[in-house]
This record gives sequence, structure tokens and C-alpha cells, in this order.
Amino acid sequence: MIEPRTDGRQHMQELTLPGFFQRLFPMAAGLPIGPLLTLSLRRLARRRPGLFERLGEYRAVRYAIDPVDLAFAFCVVPDAERSSVRVVSKGATAASDVLIKGPLLTLLSLLDGTVDGDAMFFSRVISISGRTEAVLALRNTIEDAELRPADLLGLQGVLAHCVDTGVLGALGAARRLAGRNQSET
Amino acid sequence: MELVCPAGTPATLRAAVQAGADAVYCGFRDETNARNFPGLNFSRDELIEGVRFAHGHGSKVMVAINTFARVDDVDIWKKAADIAVESGADAIIAADFAVLDHVARNHSQVRLHLSVQAAAATPEAIGFYAAHFGVRRVVLPRVLSLQEIAVLNRAIDVETEAFVFGGLCVMIEGRCYLSSFATGKSPNLNGVCSPPEMVSYEDEPDGTAARLSGFTIDRYGPGHPVGYPTLCKGKFKAGGKTSHLFEDPVSLNAGGMISGLKAAGVTALKIEGRQRGKGYVSEVVRAFRKALDAVEHGGDAVDIDRLLAGQSEGARQTAGAYEKKWR
Repeated sequence: MIEPRTDGRQHMQELTLPGFFQRLFPMAAGLPIGPLLTLSLRRLARRRPGLFERLGEYRAVRYAIDPVDLAFAFCVVPDAERSSVRVVSKGATAASDVLIKGPLLTLLSLLDGTVDGDAMFFSRVISISGRTEAVLALRNTIEDAELRPADLLGLQGVLAHCVDTGVLGALGAARRLAGRNQSET
Repeated sequence: MELVCPAGTPATLRAAVQAGADAVYCGFRDETNARNFPGLNFSRDELIEGVRFAHGHGSKVMVAINTFARVDDVDIWKKAADIAVESGADAIIAADFAVLDHVARNHSQVRLHLSVQAAAATPEAIGFYAAHFGVRRVVLPRVLSLQEIAVLNRAIDVETEAFVFGGLCVMIEGRCYLSSFATGKSPNLNGVCSPPEMVSYEDEPDGTAARLSGFTIDRYGPGHPVGYPTLCKGKFKAGGKTSHLFEDPVSLNAGGMISGLKAAGVTALKIEGRQRGKGYVSEVVRAFRKALDAVEHGGDAVDIDRLLAGQSEGARQTAGAYEKKWR
């Protein structure tokens, strides 16, 4: 069972994307994000098949990931080398088996383990609906995965280290900026 | 004293070892252990690698094969024990007689620990397991006071392991029927309490209802933190009042009693939580490592309550049965 906890030291705030990022993303919706992320996920499956083995039967589940501060959502089927990621409208998420909603920065922080998924859910920073067992399988898999940006990009060695440092640094900066914006409003 | 820590996944095993665990306990990805949740636990290869990592850092690995076997499928549990031994595990934690017997007869070289699910709390019960199966250590049910543990340890010849942090069960260990009643699945037989496939959260006009198999376990107002609908920790109406009828959602924290447990003859301290994440496990293990080292080496006492307040269920802690303040 997942037990709720409160951590007085963490600020359970919704870290909303700063305004100028939000203005960038409608442009990004026109880019082939879905096919690019699909390639990344399949590449990850080839490099780390154990991740998808851990998901087991839940690889075939349709997970809708809905960043509340973006105008679109993602539908992800993490079926190893048959994985797919599609950019979908908010309305299309109703057809999914699982819906995970939350601020984009929080959702990204779940992937790199900066924030704890249980804490985010129980404090209602993210919301989850649909098949709870599929959510738990995904949560446990991501917990064990210790994913880095280079994993999703299929990079290794020095390049991987540089990309990880750069991307995680940018993510950290975005979180700090969002946190400051939150405090000032 | 040994610090025994939970490892729900290989990453958490590494985190626990690096945080200072003397031993970690884990299970396989099936119903042979009492934390049989989707995406959790170890494959055979992962256990082999986990044992290699733990041993390389001076830690031991114990494998929980601690649910009760189905009468027509005992071989699954026996096979799990065989794989655990082949993988290099240092101990097997079991409660079922068939599993205990199988390990005692076929793998007498591996340590056998009696799981808390056996609910063995008397010298007679513990002596029976020691005499018939060669059990070397018993994990104590969470119903004994410090004084009772001291009396027990003077009367037995095996080691004792006591829970010091984490979730509490209000039922007789290994004999919970609540989950079976509501869902048809039991922590003792299937390794799941309040199985996730029967959990739902529904937004309704008077709040978010957390349900288990259609039973409303709790209801939360907008913006209030939600909880997992564990049956025994739910809120129910009785006598015109709504309250936690069976158990308050609090965590056991016996961190301030390490000296007392040592004086009572306890060999090992156990942290509950194989379903918890790496961050939780690292923080709790580090705190207890610090506290245990302070007791063992006569250092300054550690304010462990303060260190771990944020990790407690419902932000509340209890010393549980160790003090039995309700008597």
C-alpha cells in the first residue's frame, strides 16, 4: 500500500511554468514532439529492457499525461520497442486507461526523481484517475529506473554527462524561477 | 545491533545499503511475499545483482517468502526459496510451515528467520519453530511491550528482531481478514492489502471519495491531502460519529527506544516499508543509522523524532505497543 505522508520541509506548491515558457509551447505543439518522444522511448527500451519488463502487463496501458500549464497532452503506451507517444488534445485524454494531471515541471521532476510521486499525489499537486494498479506499476518502475535525460536521448559517455548536467541544470533553474514566481504572486 | 531495511526495488536496495543498512530484505515479483504490488520486487537476476552489490558493501540480503502457500501450489513457494538460496541470499524470512520445512530439509546452510506473519510471541511458540525448523531469528509481532520483550529474550535461544519505524497493523499479524472481506485478496495469502486494482478516487459534490472495492474508506475536502484507502485506517460512521474506528493513520517510531530495545536483548532493528520510495528509505535509514551508532558507541543522543517527523504517516508518530500507554 502507498501511505500518505507530509513533509513539512517541502513546499507542496504547484510549480507552474513561467509565462514566457508557456508562450513558447504553443509553437512547440506544431513540432513532431510525438514521433520524437516515440523514438526516444523505443531507444530506451532497447538500452534498458529491464524497465519495461518491470512494467509487465501494464506496458499495454494507455497513460494520458496532461500538463495543466500546456494546451495539449500526451498519450503514452510504454510497450517497450512498440512504445508510442502521441500529442493529443485535452479532450482526447478521456479515452485513456490512466490520466495523470499536474504542472509540467512537477511531472518532469517525477521522471528524474527530484520529487516523490506519492507525496505529489497525496498532497494533490498531481491528480490521478483510472486504473490505480497501472499507476502503481508505473510509479514503481520510474522509482527504480533512476532515469536521466541521456537515457531518453540514447546518449552515453561524456556526451551523456554533459547533456544530463545541462538539462537537469536547466530544469532546476526553471523550478527555482517557478518557485520565485509563485512566492511573488 | 543490526539495522534491517526495506528494499522494494534494486534501486531502493542500493539506496538502503549506501545509507547504512546492515541488512536489507526484499521479495520476488509474485505472491510469495507480503508486498506483492505491481512494478515492485525483484526478478531472479535482479536479486543476484542485489546480493552482489550488498555483499560488496558489507551488507546482508534477506529474502521474504513470508506469505502462506496455497494448498494446491506449494511448489511456487518452495521454488522461490530455492532461487533465493541459489542467488546467494543470507537468510530467508518465512512463516508457512511448508516453506520452513522445505528450507530446513534442503537448505540447512542458509539462515531461517521467522516472519512477523507467524505471530510468534511466546517462548513456547518460538521454541517450537526453533526446534522443528532450526529458526535462528524471530521477527517479533508488534504487540509486545519492552518489558515483555525482555522477559521473552531471557526465555528463548534465538535472536529477536523488532520493528522500529513505519506502518502498523492493528490485526493479529498474518491473520488479517479485513482485506479479504472487502476485496477477496489478503496480505497473508496474496501479498496485497487493499489491492490497487480495487482502489478508486472519485470527485463528488462533498469531496473526493477514496474507495476500495466500492466501500468508501474516506472522504477529503477540496485541497486537503488524500490518503490511500487502507481498510483498517479508514473513517467509518458508528454511534452517530465518523472516526478512525480500527486504527489512526500514524507511524510507529521507536527511534527513542533503541537503548531500551538493546537492554531488552533485541538483536536487530527493522524498518518497515518495501513499498516506499528511495528518498523515504534513504532518509529513514540514515536517521536510524545515526541513532543506532550513537547508542552503540556512546555518542550524543539523536533527536530522531525531529529528523523523521516528516516521514510519518499523517505526520503523527507512536511508540505503539512498546510503551502501551493505553493500559
